[in-house]
Amino acid sequence: MPNSKKLIIDGAESSNIWHFVDDETPLAEAPAIISLARLQDEGAELVAAGKKLGVILRAGEKQGEDVHALKPFLDNLAVVAIEFPVYRNGRGYSTARILREQMGFRGEIRAVGEVLFDQWQFMHRCGINAFEVDADVSLEAFNEAMDELSAAYQPAADPQRGILWRRHN
Amino acid sequence: MYRYDEFDHQLVAERVEQFRGQVERRVSGELSEDAFKPLRLMNGVYLQLHAYMLRVAIPYGTLSSRQLRKLAHIAREYDRGYGHFTTRQNIQYNWPALARIPDLLAELAEVEMHAIQTSGNCIRNVTSDQYAGAIADEIEDPRIISEIIRQWSTFHPEFSYLPRKFKIAVTGHAHDRAAIKLHDIGIVIVRNEAGEIGYEVHVGGGQGRTPFIAKKLAEFVPKDKLLAYLEAVMRVYNMLGRRDNSYKARIKILVHETGEEEMRKLVEAEFAQIDASKMLEVPQAEIDRITRYFEPPAFETLPAESAAFNKAQADDAGFAQWCRTNVVAHRQLGYSIVNISLKPIGGVPGDATDVQMEAIAELAEAYSFDELRVTHEQNLVLPHIRLDDLKAVYDRLVTHELATPNLGLISDAIACPGLDYCNLANARSIPLAQEISNRFADLDRQYDIGELKIKISGCINACGHHHVGHIGILGVDKKGTEFYQISLGGSADEHASLGDITGRAFTEDTIVDAIETLVETYVGLRHADERFIETYRRVGLTPFKERLYAE
Repeated sequence: MPNSKKLIIDGAESSNIWHFVDDETPLAEAPAIISLARLQDEGAELVAAGKKLGVILRAGEKQGEDVHALKPFLDNLAVVAIEFPVYRNGRGYSTARILREQMGFRGEIRAVGEVLFDQWQFMHRCGINAFEVDADVSLEAFNEAMDELSAAYQPAADPQRGILWRRHN
Repeated sequence: MYRYDEFDHQLVAERVEQFRGQVERRVSGELSEDAFKPLRLMNGVYLQLHAYMLRVAIPYGTLSSRQLRKLAHIAREYDRGYGHFTTRQNIQYNWPALARIPDLLAELAEVEMHAIQTSGNCIRNVTSDQYAGAIADEIEDPRIISEIIRQWSTFHPEFSYLPRKFKIAVTGHAHDRAAIKLHDIGIVIVRNEAGEIGYEVHVGGGQGRTPFIAKKLAEFVPKDKLLAYLEAVMRVYNMLGRRDNSYKARIKILVHETGEEEMRKLVEAEFAQIDASKMLEVPQAEIDRITRYFEPPAFETLPAESAAFNKAQADDAGFAQWCRTNVVAHRQLGYSIVNISLKPIGGVPGDATDVQMEAIAELAEAYSFDELRVTHEQNLVLPHIRLDDLKAVYDRLVTHELATPNLGLISDAIACPGLDYCNLANARSIPLAQEISNRFADLDRQYDIGELKIKISGCINACGHHHVGHIGILGVDKKGTEFYQISLGGSADEHASLGDITGRAFTEDTIVDAIETLVETYVGLRHADERFIETYRRVGLTPFKERLYAE
């Protein structure tokens, strides 16, 4: 992670122990976030070697990588990073919900890329719990953004129930 | 009509404060215009040719008189004394100052209104039938499910940054007045053989540069499954819709490229997953709560005939004519549905001044159970007027130049804002609508021509619905000169069809003559009582084309 970024996990500033490693660089001891292609190629060996793995789903030119491809590796994945190449590319919101709600992933889901103030609350509602944000973002500002809307009409991946349901009981 | 509870009030108020913060961060320079853009768009703020434009949502086109009075107040205090009703049942203000928009939104919130999701790549304001709750033979009032969809889609965390904008329309009547087949999702309320109410779901319709009629993806989605089904469609679209080219990003392109059959399979697979969780089944108590807001008003028991009404028609030919064109039968004996034309001869389609809005609000309060509707054809409706009161309503409308008896006629055109306001436009739309209206100003001639829907767009984005005009007109730019291309035979109702392009485009100086030629051709070809669209469907493009391009 470049120095201009900071990591907020579950509402607290966290040091980043995970490193993005490209497909050519051999994996060292440090926990690594690798590409989907490398996970598919080397995943079985890495798991056999007892490594905890992280993977990044890239946004791609046209459609982005398919979260369903992670299925065989879910038990050994600690981190899934989802790339948001620009704020207006919101495909990752669906990726995160599928990962949490349909695939039952309980590890860290990290938003990387263009991850701005006005997206954090919605990302969090979709199951993203780790945010790679600009270094000058204060934790206070982050938490303020998280509270901008006090309720939601609809259910999502977070525990809050939609207003359409909360009105009754 | 629906009233906010504390949750609705709170969320709208929070949104105003959120946007106030965003405007402040934009003004201070903390936010770049690029980063501010999606935020202002999600609050209905566009940057147009000359100024910011604000689009205010009118959910499923229903307004109270209090709300319309507030819209009049905003026109006066924040704009230049008028507002523009749009084809999506919204109202637009063309001249508000950005710094004052948060205050404007706070005023709207006082009357349970907002500009949330009236632009941007999110689920837009849900539109519906302007005669909902007033017309006979409705299966169910479409505003009930529209309100549930409004709430479900508001601040949807997953679907706020879609590949492109997303429009949903609902009809509860076999005769479609909401153009549902030209929407990203069109919903028809239906009853199955067991007598249960459910939803037919059409997906992938739309206009723009590549128009499509929606495909019917589901014949019958049971009542309690609709939100799960909608979420499935949205998720398939958000995952697979194209983001590499904004012209190919609407769901209509995904449906077209994927194929109807495969698209249905994808949606059904996703639906099975979502439905299994049961989490989108709205509690019956909540459906009942919302339904109660749309129960019929306290209609009086009246005879089918009104002596006063009959006499007024006999005494005043102008009134009688207005009744024939602008008044529609009501489900309740002794009542009627009144259409207020916002298309005065030579006027700007869809514009209303603050004074006019206040006059209409007063009429709604006095005579229509406080209710008003906006139509996608850019007119207003007083949905529940007693026959006994029609003359009094008419007289007030005449005073305010709101009684043009031209509903559905050639001068009742849809037109987008065009080059007078919009920075996408290639050509002017409003002046052309005005010219056509002036050319056919003679009402007797308009009645003789009969129903004829002219729809004018100033560019290929088709905001003026030209693809589905009986006569559609598209403004194109050729080397800096405005030209107008004509298409014929489009329709936006339950028999939706896309128009056929006639051929070479016309100049500003020849387009109105061309329209006249088309009208004359129709008059010469029609069988007794045949409408333009029926004649066109019978004879096809050729005879029109021959006359149009005859040397």
